[in-house]
Amino acid sequence: MTATPHLVSVVDDDESVRESLPDLLRELGFAAQAFSSAEEFLASDSVERTECLILDVAMPGMSGPDLQQELARRQQEIPIIFITAHAGEALCPRLLERGAVECLSKPFSETALLEALNAALRMSR
Amino acid sequence: MEAQPEQTAEEIKRLERRIDELTRELAAANEASRKEAAGRRRAEEALRESERESRSILETIPGLVGLLSATGYVEVVNRQLSDYFGQTLEELRHWGTNGTVHPEDLPHVAEVFTRSIESGSPYNIVQRFRRSDGVYRWFENSGFPLRDADGKVVRWCVLLTDIDERKRAEEALAASEHNLKLIIDTIPALAWSTGPDGSADFFNQHYLDYVGLSAEQAGGWGWTAALHPDDADGLAASWRRIMASEAPGEAEARLRRHDGEYRWFLFRAHPLRDELGNIVKWYGTNTDIDDWKRAEAQRGRIIEELQAKQELLDLAQKSARAMAFDWYPQREVNTWSPEQEALHGMSPGSFDGTYRSWKKTIYPPDWPVVVKAIEHAREAGEVAAEFRVVWPDGSIHWLLTKGQMFFDEQGRPFRMVGFTSDVTPLKLAEEELRRSEAFLAEAQRLSSTGSFSWRVETDEMTWSEQAYNIFELHPAAPVTPELMSTRVHPDDVPLFDEAFARARAGGGDFEFECRLLMPDRSVKYLHVIAHRNRRQVSHLEYIGAVQDVTERRLAEEALARLRSEIAHVSRVATLGALTASIAHEVNQPLAGIITNASTCLRMLDAEPPNVEGARETARRTIRDGNRASDVIKRLRALFGKRGAASEAVDLNDATREVIALSLGELQRGRVILRAELSDDLPAVTGDRVQLQQVILNLLLNASDAMGGVEDRPRELVIRTGQDDGDCVRLSVRDVGVGFDPRDAGRLFEAFYTTKSGGMGIGLSVSRSIIESHHGRLWATPNDGPGATFSFSIPRSPGGATDDAGPGAIRASALKDADGAPRKA
Repeated sequence: MTATPHLVSVVDDDESVRESLPDLLRELGFAAQAFSSAEEFLASDSVERTECLILDVAMPGMSGPDLQQELARRQQEIPIIFITAHAGEALCPRLLERGAVECLSKPFSETALLEALNAALRMSR
Repeated sequence: MEAQPEQTAEEIKRLERRIDELTRELAAANEASRKEAAGRRRAEEALRESERESRSILETIPGLVGLLSATGYVEVVNRQLSDYFGQTLEELRHWGTNGTVHPEDLPHVAEVFTRSIESGSPYNIVQRFRRSDGVYRWFENSGFPLRDADGKVVRWCVLLTDIDERKRAEEALAASEHNLKLIIDTIPALAWSTGPDGSADFFNQHYLDYVGLSAEQAGGWGWTAALHPDDADGLAASWRRIMASEAPGEAEARLRRHDGEYRWFLFRAHPLRDELGNIVKWYGTNTDIDDWKRAEAQRGRIIEELQAKQELLDLAQKSARAMAFDWYPQREVNTWSPEQEALHGMSPGSFDGTYRSWKKTIYPPDWPVVVKAIEHAREAGEVAAEFRVVWPDGSIHWLLTKGQMFFDEQGRPFRMVGFTSDVTPLKLAEEELRRSEAFLAEAQRLSSTGSFSWRVETDEMTWSEQAYNIFELHPAAPVTPELMSTRVHPDDVPLFDEAFARARAGGGDFEFECRLLMPDRSVKYLHVIAHRNRRQVSHLEYIGAVQDVTERRLAEEALARLRSEIAHVSRVATLGALTASIAHEVNQPLAGIITNASTCLRMLDAEPPNVEGARETARRTIRDGNRASDVIKRLRALFGKRGAASEAVDLNDATREVIALSLGELQRGRVILRAELSDDLPAVTGDRVQLQQVILNLLLNASDAMGGVEDRPRELVIRTGQDDGDCVRLSVRDVGVGFDPRDAGRLFEAFYTTKSGGMGIGLSVSRSIIESHHGRLWATPNDGPGATFSFSIPRSPGGATDDAGPGAIRASALKDADGAPRKA
């Protein structure tokens, strides 16, 4: 464990995800912040510091894939883990092609999350 | 005579003087004579004897006789004379002054008498003498002079003959002749006479006036100028023939009236013969027969017309199996025509005309009817009866008799004239009609159905008995839609009025259900259905039925509740195809649960364990679990499987079925539904049941949206029509609470609901279904209250593949094909 924990940001319009996921991330030794929309995240000062982004696919307003494209446009190379409530999300392969680390279906296990985080942090490093 | 009384008096005085003079002369003569006579007494004695003899002769003459002296002095009169006048001889001698002679006659008498005495010639005067009773009578006064041998007048013999009777007869005759002349001239006939040769010698005044000729102009053959030129020869020939026959005769010809108009006359001539039988004159008259001639011509025409009418009547009788009859009740035997016999099924000539035989033809149970009808005719003079007759072959026929009774001077009926027709087919039809009416009435009673007809322009309604029963109105009451509406439940009056107002405007057939609120506060459910009477083209008329469906409605309400449940089940069955969407809803809370549970475990595993954090995450776990459970609870009923079909769907038909299915539901919500279904709507290809579920969903939503509306009619319009780009559109418009335009997108999200009891699945599913049909579903707020939900589907889904068919709901529903905000 390093002195400064890696900052993981969560963007999801579902409140229970925003409540539960940051708590787990902190238990896993990460620093965590939650945003209810892509716009809110982009407006925050966390964009520069975020080392991994856990991003919901379908949201009102700017969707997860939109945010992915926007960050690429800004050349903010933040590793992204997509999460989706739709089993067998058809978009996943395309999202991975565009550079996403992982595409997790809700509900996902702690192990799957941790593996994805580790993969992401390896990339960011 | 009185006109010259002074002259007359003078004359009389003159005469009196003359008479006195003569008298004195006579007296002087007498004196001389007496002196002479003294000398010849003997001779005188003989003469006296002779005079006595003469006197006795005078006395015996049955007439008034007197003797005068040569100078006219009255010497002796017989007793008859003095008796007649009632005067003595002395008095008679003053006949010229004592009124014996009628004053009017006196001048003439005195003149003639005096002249005669002086000349010695006999006189004869017709004059009036006064009888003893003062009455003047006409006499012939004749005086004859008696002369001696020397021819000297010695005396006058006077004979007075009473000719009063004769005189009066002559006067009467003269008056009579005058009168006759007047009559002849004034009688309105034209009268004439001719000589034996036929030439006219007399025309009465009327004749002359009529033809405008004078007697001179008309005389001889002049009158023929007034004859009509066409008739002159004919009349001349007739006249010659009559004269040759020497017998009375007549002829016709036209005479020209003074004003130029010709009129027909009948000329009649009679001969007058003398004692020897020779014709001395012809008398004749002309009678105006012009009017008669015309009438005769008209009569000819009328007879022709009558004959034509008789032929028509015969024809009508034959074709109508009817005939006129002429019956004499007092006669023993009445003859029947072959037509009448035919009415009784008899061969011609087989009826003997007796009362007994006639009675035998009447169907016995109807005999009292016939008797009563005849009795009525005897009193009232008119008869009208329907009765049956039995034909010789045993068949029964209905006859209708209408007639008029005529009475003789004693008031006894003696003749009845009328018309009898065979109305058997009519009666059979009537009986059939009565039977069907009875059936209908019974059927109406059994089915609690009343019928009515409604003539819109006058608002007249005719109701069947059962209709009155249903409305509990008195059958005598004239019914109008307004009266009907007084029985309608207040909540349903707008519905009722709407239906009738549209029908009144010529809207055509209508059908609706409404409630009646009876005076005892009980409620009846009524089904009203009416069709425009298409046989009635001159005015708008509806024929309809009202059925008391209370029993059925109660059962239906139970059924409707069941149907409502089924509708929901059916609605959610569609969601069977939406498991992915449902999984999404469940996966969200599941993600929270698992994440929280992991966090919880980690907190408890820590050194020291973070119990407070663990407790918090455990609570969140429970909350998310409940959230998932709620979703599952809501969805539990929705699961079901049904294969999607692809077929040609008539959206109008599908809509009508949905309306029928939801009518009860809508009416329970007091919704006035108006369907404006376009004619010529192209078919669409798709799943009929799914589309119907969408329509049902839209209708129920609209109905629900108006649930709280009390200040306006809950009007719902469902409309179909062609949309742009070969699409078919259906829209449902309500006047309910509407929606906030900002929520327009969210309306179609699963579980989004504005309704406290709603599931929020309807519009989401509806949109999925419509999109699976390559169409769109959208909502727009109305200008007024409420919202309009519409969908539009292509009429022929181009390039239909497995993907594009309704079976692809899942894929379609999960794709953000239209870019609307949607959970993924």
